[in-house]
Amino acid sequence: MDPSELKSVLAIVMAGGQGERLYPLSKERAKPAVPFGGIYRIIDFTLSNCVNSGVRRVYVLTQYRSISLQRHINLAWNKLRYEFGEFICTVPPQKRNVEHWYLGTADAIFQNIYTLEVERPERVLILSGDHVYRMDYSHMIRTHQDNKAELTVACMEVDRESARRFGVMQVDDNHRVIGFWEKPNDPPTLPGKPDRCLVSMGVYLFETPVLVRRTIEDSKRDTAHDFGKNIIPEMVDANRVFAFPFQAPEGEVAYWRDIGTLDAYWEANMDLTHVTPSFNLYDRNWPVHTYHAGHPPAKTVFNEDDPDGRVGTAIDSLISAGCIISGGRVENSILSPRVRIESHAHVTESVLFDGVVIGKGCRVHRTIIDKNIIVPDGAIIGMDREQDSSKFTVTPGGITIIPKSMPLTEMAAV
Amino acid sequence: MSKILLVEDDSHQQLLYQEELSAEGYEVFCASTGKEAIEQAEKVQPDLVVMDISMPGMDGIEAMGRILGQDNKIPVILNTAYASYKDNFMSWSADAYVIKSSDLTELKTTISKVLGQPKGDKE
Repeated sequence: MDPSELKSVLAIVMAGGQGERLYPLSKERAKPAVPFGGIYRIIDFTLSNCVNSGVRRVYVLTQYRSISLQRHINLAWNKLRYEFGEFICTVPPQKRNVEHWYLGTADAIFQNIYTLEVERPERVLILSGDHVYRMDYSHMIRTHQDNKAELTVACMEVDRESARRFGVMQVDDNHRVIGFWEKPNDPPTLPGKPDRCLVSMGVYLFETPVLVRRTIEDSKRDTAHDFGKNIIPEMVDANRVFAFPFQAPEGEVAYWRDIGTLDAYWEANMDLTHVTPSFNLYDRNWPVHTYHAGHPPAKTVFNEDDPDGRVGTAIDSLISAGCIISGGRVENSILSPRVRIESHAHVTESVLFDGVVIGKGCRVHRTIIDKNIIVPDGAIIGMDREQDSSKFTVTPGGITIIPKSMPLTEMAAV
Repeated sequence: MSKILLVEDDSHQQLLYQEELSAEGYEVFCASTGKEAIEQAEKVQPDLVVMDISMPGMDGIEAMGRILGQDNKIPVILNTAYASYKDNFMSWSADAYVIKSSDLTELKTTISKVLGQPKGDKE
């Protein structure tokens, strides 16, 4: 693809949602800033897609609890050079004309029309900062141009039951969208596939003038100010709206996750520990970038021979830099940087954030532990749902969450 | 009687527009700056704003944005000597764009057309 065509695309990443569904992980940080896969934040996947696709003019719209997101983007994504016309830049609400915060995704764009006026891109790629996927946007941009589309919506097939959580569309033989419904109770299925639906991934490519006109019109009405609920359904009859079927690179499974629940978050992390994970972090043609703080290498120590001896091991796990597994055992888990596992501790199917310490003899199972939590010696977490529920969030899927800043010193040691 | 808020920094033009529009049967309120326009819009609650763009201090595009920020249903006609603002995305919030002329026919037709339109979902 002609690089100048990619330069005419401005990406806007929506990173201003409340992130209620990931509470308490989103208690003190925006959802796009929630750690994922040990060393990443959720937004790194979308920003890596941008950079790897050649879309290198990116605004990230922030809003709630943005300090940690802002800091992460400053540290991790100051890689592009503005003087070459490339940037990733965070934009908090400017409140140029209104006193309120963003009322919806369409209002977020409306309140930033000034930014579009300054940049004057030909097209705007609207992305969500809280999805985990790998996608080369340049394919979508080319298809959009070939179709002479005014709006292209990336889509994928899901089963009918899951489709109710998404924007569902109907397309004709040329992928032109002929119907769009946000979170329908009775989603229309694909021709010849009575259990499959085509759903929107929340990735939109707009011709800029159409986007500006549509969001201005929407701003004058009493709507939900939402792309899925208002703008797209209204455009289907009046504009050239096309679907872009999301495809995986050859030989891979199409991977896209809207990390919508704590259980989905845990599962997506667990997937990374498999021998052949659905999302390949190790593909050098598609690196996922993030911030590296310069921690020392991960270390495992102790290999004592006697039956009660200390053995420091990690199996089927992602162990980040700076971790020390000191005579404990880690299985099927994700350890962020600077995690310490003390002697005879046993951690399974868990996600431990930056700086967590698991004390001597602890038993931790199917638990997500937030940053810098010190689990006292002998504590047992994730083995007894009822007991955990009295102190912590326990998800419907049975995952225990220890939130940030929770003191655990009074936990009964066994 | 429809209320029009006329925003125009040139006093001669302001007087001309005021007379002509009053003669058409509109109740005309005037403002000479963007800031005054915002205050007047809140006080008068006009049915329509006729807004000059090029003014000292706050320009008409910014004033329009703020007025719409207070009430997103007020129709605005941008009335300017310059066609160049028409490309500015910020000006697209206006319901119409009229190039100033000594003949006010186009402005008057546009006013009656815009006032005849339904104003968003509330109407």
